[in-house]
Amino acid sequence: MRHVFETMGTVASLELPATDGAASLLGRVESIFAESDARFSLYRPDSELSRIAAGQLTLMDASEVMRAAYGEALRWRESTAGAFTPNRPDGVTDLNGIVKANAIEAAGAQLDRDGCTDWSLNVGGDILVRGSQPDRTPWSIGVVDPANRSELLCAIPLTGGKRAVATSGSTERGDHIWLGSSRAPAPFRQVTVVAEDIVTADVLATAIMAGGRSELDAASDRWDIDVLTVGRSNEILVTPRLRAAIER
Amino acid sequence: MRTRAVVTSIFASFAVLVVGWQAGNAASTSVTSSPLASGSTGGNGSTGTVGTGSTGTSGTGTTGATGGTTTTTTGAADGTYTGSSVNTPFGSVQVQVTIASGAITDVGAVHLTDADGRSVQISNHAAPILRTEVLSAQSASVSNVSGATYTTRGYLMSLQSALDQAGF
Repeated sequence: MRHVFETMGTVASLELPATDGAASLLGRVESIFAESDARFSLYRPDSELSRIAAGQLTLMDASEVMRAAYGEALRWRESTAGAFTPNRPDGVTDLNGIVKANAIEAAGAQLDRDGCTDWSLNVGGDILVRGSQPDRTPWSIGVVDPANRSELLCAIPLTGGKRAVATSGSTERGDHIWLGSSRAPAPFRQVTVVAEDIVTADVLATAIMAGGRSELDAASDRWDIDVLTVGRSNEILVTPRLRAAIER
Repeated sequence: MRTRAVVTSIFASFAVLVVGWQAGNAASTSVTSSPLASGSTGGNGSTGTVGTGSTGTSGTGTTGATGGTTTTTTGAADGTYTGSSVNTPFGSVQVQVTIASGAITDVGAVHLTDADGRSVQISNHAAPILRTEVLSAQSASVSNVSGATYTTRGYLMSLQSALDQAGF
């Protein structure tokens, strides 16, 4: 059964088996996103992160959850050589690039704890799954064609421990992609990363979007990920394993 | 001893170049003038320098012949050439070279095994793919759609929205 709810300025869609407990499962998942949004949203002036951005609160005095998220973002900045960063050029600390994925991860952990063995969760185009589809086939994820957003570019079956797909792009919501002080256009129109967990997928999609080909090579060397990119002339690059998977 | 080795290696390098030049000359004139071909010969020349410590004559002869063969092959035509499998202390390696308009456009490992003989992937680098190669997946039934984050308003026009309404 498909449940749709709004959160974090976008729409989430949760597929669960139709059971008696589905309504309370959905409620717990929704509240995880609501809490995260209340703390980290820069669109809400009363959020903890907005108060930090406004200079009313320092990171030193911020909540443990906030400092943990910031620390995690800094570790990703380090391991992507700055391609991913929580520090916006205007000086504002923006954890948008990591909090949605963290909330998806937390929601997934909640579903696992509640004994749900087959589910898929899509929040604004970032997807985490568990188990398989109701007909026992692997969850299959369509990738939007950035040149024509009413079409799919391909379908990616999630197998072999890969549970997460994240896509970064400049198509609709250009948030959390900034290219430093240089005004050079982004090298890719869209970057899709398949990984074992949604935080890795989401952060690296952002990093490759910002860092271009060199970050694509560095990330695909260092992490166990599959990547599909669409360039500015709509040319497609794909890593070998993913190529084999989508050709099948 | 050291002087002799240096002298021998200089002689060997020279011999390689001569043999390589003769081989290239015999093959075709255009090959010897191509930068790629002369690069190959130079590379084999330095290999000869290392290998000529004990038996100068036979060593250079072999290397020179190899240089000639390589020159002829690379100058032949555009295409993809697969080398023979080479054993290394780390496993076996097989390399593929793609040549277009006389220049190497791509070099990749086609096969690599680790010391235990298991196949390993040498590189996870992304490569170009034609749209037509992936578009065949259009008709595949998908459970979710991944794309750049849509806004609440944009969701209504998204494929995910269509999927959510399509009877789940």
